[in-house]
Amino acid sequence: MPASQVAIHKKAVKSSFESKESQWSSRIINLFFCALSILFIIPLLLVISISFTDEKTLLQSGYHLIPEKFSLEAYSLIFKSPGVLLNAYGITILVTVIGTVVGLFLTSLTAYTISRKDYRYRRIMTLYVFFTTLFSGGLVPFYIMITQYLHLKDTIWALIVPYLLNPFYILVMKGFMDKTPMEVIESGKIDGASEWRIFFIIVLPLTLPALVTIGLFISFQYWNDWWLGLLFIDNQHLIPLQLMLYRVMSTIEYLSNNISSVNVSVDMTQFPSLSARMAMAVLAAGPMMIVFPMLQRFFVSGLTVGSVKG
Amino acid sequence: MKKQWFKVFAGVISLALILTACGGGAKEEKKAAEGSQNEELPPVELVWNFPLSAIPQDLATVQEAVNKITKEKINATVKLQAYTFADYNQKMNTVVASGENYDIAWVANWNWDYLQNQSKGAFLELDDLIQKQAPDLMKSMPDFVWDAAKIQGKIYAIPNYQTVTKKEGFVIQKRFADKYKLDVNSIKKFEDIEPFLKQIKEGESADVVPFLNDKTGRFSVMYQSQGLEALNNVVGVELQNPDKPMNLFETPQYKHYLDVMRDWYTKGYINENAATLKNKNDIISTGNAAVQFHSVLKPGGEMEAKAANGGNDVIYVPLTDAYASTGTVITTMQAISKNSKNPERAMMFINLLNTDKDLYNTICYGVEGKHYTKVSDNVIKVNKDAGYVPNANWVFGNTFNAYLVEGMDPAVMDQTKKENETATKSALMGFKFDNTPVLAEIANIATVIDQYQPALDTGTVDPNTMLKEFQDKLKQAGIDKVTAEMAKQIEAWKQTK
Repeated sequence: MPASQVAIHKKAVKSSFESKESQWSSRIINLFFCALSILFIIPLLLVISISFTDEKTLLQSGYHLIPEKFSLEAYSLIFKSPGVLLNAYGITILVTVIGTVVGLFLTSLTAYTISRKDYRYRRIMTLYVFFTTLFSGGLVPFYIMITQYLHLKDTIWALIVPYLLNPFYILVMKGFMDKTPMEVIESGKIDGASEWRIFFIIVLPLTLPALVTIGLFISFQYWNDWWLGLLFIDNQHLIPLQLMLYRVMSTIEYLSNNISSVNVSVDMTQFPSLSARMAMAVLAAGPMMIVFPMLQRFFVSGLTVGSVKG
Repeated sequence: MKKQWFKVFAGVISLALILTACGGGAKEEKKAAEGSQNEELPPVELVWNFPLSAIPQDLATVQEAVNKITKEKINATVKLQAYTFADYNQKMNTVVASGENYDIAWVANWNWDYLQNQSKGAFLELDDLIQKQAPDLMKSMPDFVWDAAKIQGKIYAIPNYQTVTKKEGFVIQKRFADKYKLDVNSIKKFEDIEPFLKQIKEGESADVVPFLNDKTGRFSVMYQSQGLEALNNVVGVELQNPDKPMNLFETPQYKHYLDVMRDWYTKGYINENAATLKNKNDIISTGNAAVQFHSVLKPGGEMEAKAANGGNDVIYVPLTDAYASTGTVITTMQAISKNSKNPERAMMFINLLNTDKDLYNTICYGVEGKHYTKVSDNVIKVNKDAGYVPNANWVFGNTFNAYLVEGMDPAVMDQTKKENETATKSALMGFKFDNTPVLAEIANIATVIDQYQPALDTGTVDPNTMLKEFQDKLKQAGIDKVTAEMAKQIEAWKQTK
């Protein structure tokens, strides 16, 4: 055979071999991730199942993936006085929406500024942002800052402001925006567009996957937060959903660990039953479980585009 | 490059200036508030922090009712700042560290530690204030209660007077005791219950737990019946010899306890999940916990226990007499903040909480007609759906001033009072261990305990193999240093007594 034909032949053999090999490896990888996702999903299904199980059967025969005795009592108990829950829901939704929109706007503004190659102080500003991921003032100065200087205690802003700018998200966003060609921006300038116009009309649409990804992160952060509420909120009408849930869970645990040898009497029957606690968890996690798959399309492309493009 | 730095600095400095300007304004406000304090009882607002199981929905109405009373009596309004027991420690630590303003705070030895925060200087010394503003308060409680609250001879917090004793023993489901004709008089030591456990194991369904245990173990609630008194969770003294602190895990009593637990566990008397069980109340509330060991068998407690046991009657089988120590007294107190601008008024308010029945019952049960209804003069019926059921009279003040809740035995209060007064008093009454010199050791020990104690104390593992390892690890963690420090502090404490 001529040398070139041999080479082609060899290549064909190799590639068919390769594809067999990759089939195997992809099968193994698939199996691995199947197992992994089952590990993630089962506890979630358990929580849902517990929330629909009759309390007595639950305590006597333990957890099952399929409720042994189906009961809606836990949910009816929660919805009997839905005022508190709905109020908490409202607060969480409000905080998440405002926080995500404003947070995303500020994050992209900051990231855009420090990604512009014609900005003279971009290195020092990037360092400044990066620095805060390594060092922070600590809890007490943070508390003093929010309560005594910004006077945000017991306002809805205490739940929003601290998470508006996350340095890590800024850096991820900057990494993405670095890929936006300077020429595009310059061409906009030549056509007479203002800086704001370039930002909104050219840069933001180009960074849509990153915006959705970071937006999702930010909204998760707001949705799942109970920490800020714990620190800064005393007004019962401003309690977010997760804090409500967290308080019930942590108080039960704290008391059952600490109260047994202390001569004070705490009525442990006043706490919601196990199924009611799980029902609350389902209600708290529910909306995010619906939002996430809807945005997943962007989420995946956001992650890959950021690393491959350019 | 220099120029760049300069610009950044200029930015930072101008930001700082703006912020300090804001802060300055706040300080001036505070000064103005202080300035108006000189007249005869000007109106003030007090802030009172306390923990509850859950924050009541209708706290606002109660606060209004409380303020009506306090406005009239001491011309003050009180802001009721309720937290949950789990949040309280973290929250108060932040408040104190940031210098935030509050007047009164609930404090104890099991949550937001009294001694630790006193040594940080969080509290005001109260002896003079009590003399001046609340002379009756002293007489409302026995002397040993005040002794227990003292730190280096000074009072920094006012105990909420309630049951201040401990009495260890069994809590047994009455239906099983009746069925197997348990002779309660035959039980003198904790291991005497074994034949009864055997009967239950053999005669009842698998759902019934003969002896309920959880990951904290039961040894820590049976010190007294073992002839010990614990001074913290690892070091204690023998009741016979209260001068010599020792490692509780090296005592023959601990070894004996472990052997019995191991025996019971292998025989199936103890719930199998004990070593990982965090919340044993889920089992208790089914009424299937046949026998439990408790350290606080107080007068009238059977009724509360009945509710906790899913409505099943229980009987108490005490193994010890009532015993009072520092640890049993300082479980619930009110302290006044060092930064309080109105300490006199705060003291007056605490005085009212402990002496004024009207005020006390308002804070305990809410507003009459809304949160509760009166059945007779001193007996009430709580309206559970009205949004104010703190169900924790002991958080607020002298519990002997509370109305009785319908169904409660009216004799209980007198019994409790009598038990308080006649209880055996610890020889170390008033001594409190300051753990600051051995913080690192305490933290190391806690890790070791977390690792070994749940399995050992529930009988899940064999003490013959594990106990030695546990004790060695404790030694490595520095338990001897803690014991030595304890001995030193006891000596020093005796000098000041």
